[in-house]
Amino acid sequence: MSESTFMGVERDKIDWKPIINYTKCDYCMECVKFCPHKVFEVRESEEIKLIVRNPNNCVVFCRACSKICGPDALSFPDKSATTQRIKEIRKEMESNG
Amino acid sequence: MVENYAVLPCNGLDKCAGVISRELAIKLCENVKNEIICPVFYRVAEAKYNKIAGKRPLLVIDGCQTRCASKLAAEKSLKISRKVTITEEAKNHNIELRSNLRLLENENALIEIILNELNNDEDKVTLFSDETNVVYNFEYVTFQNGKFIFRVPKNPEVYYNENDCWAYVIGNRARIGVTDFVQQNLSDILYFTPPDIGAEIDQFGEVGEIESSKSLIDIISPVSGKVISINETLVQKPELINENPYELGWIAELELTDFEGDKELLIGFDKYFEIMKKKVEDLNG
Repeated sequence: MSESTFMGVERDKIDWKPIINYTKCDYCMECVKFCPHKVFEVRESEEIKLIVRNPNNCVVFCRACSKICGPDALSFPDKSATTQRIKEIRKEMESNG
Repeated sequence: MVENYAVLPCNGLDKCAGVISRELAIKLCENVKNEIICPVFYRVAEAKYNKIAGKRPLLVIDGCQTRCASKLAAEKSLKISRKVTITEEAKNHNIELRSNLRLLENENALIEIILNELNNDEDKVTLFSDETNVVYNFEYVTFQNGKFIFRVPKNPEVYYNENDCWAYVIGNRARIGVTDFVQQNLSDILYFTPPDIGAEIDQFGEVGEIESSKSLIDIISPVSGKVISINETLVQKPELINENPYELGWIAELELTDFEGDKELLIGFDKYFEIMKKKVEDLNG
């Protein structure tokens, strides 16, 4: 499921997506099975077998995939900074009418 | 004391956290009247362990976030009463787990810490507020999709975020919870992890977790504040969230710290109801 906006802000203006630490990731693919929003993509034939394919599908402020990651290889941007940025964008939108 | 539990540990013998889980389970069953469920044998001798799990509350010990023991409990439709995750405990206590499969000083220290925490939990419970007599006068508006019914309170004191959580604000306090959209999606909720009493939560910060056999979600707080009470009943009866996530299934109560600022990113009934309907329709194609 892809949301096009979050709190009235275009989703692609909000930097919120999982960041894969490839030194920790063991390609167990639990995150792929877990995430119903198809954020991740498996690339079996590539050297890097897992990528964040659809960052805008990621539910803003959801970090659930990092909870189920056994090797603790997933992290997210700073929540407060993201909240602040959303507020700023909304203000810019208001002032631009 | 932690006693009369059925203890279901991770048995991941190829990882340090798994070895710790196993040892912790053994210690719990050695010293007090708990009974162990072997996760390996459970798969081939279901009847034996179903009987134990049917008679006693279940304590699950997960080694890491892969949560094999929790998943096994969900697969067997067992209700989890208590849960410990070794890697999280290690993180909370600044104990570094390495790849050794023999228990050394750090690992034994962690086991002792967890044992103490489990044994002190009864004291913790008394800290919870039993203030559950909030009078709700919710007026629900209903939306039906197939056999699923979604109710949403339309009262002006109830605010929502787009993460499907609500806040019922009275004065400088808010009671918070998840909406019908969450509980319908998760289906049967089997486990609730409450936030800590006294924890300072930012707006959009995590204020607990709920888990079903289908999935696990963070509860994302609509408001910022300090946790002053939790719905203690949910620890034993998480299914109340399925029954009514707005009343008996409330999650926590917060003393608000910046509600005026929070309001900027909150929505009222009209907007949330439209967003929720769209999500439901998207999910069902």
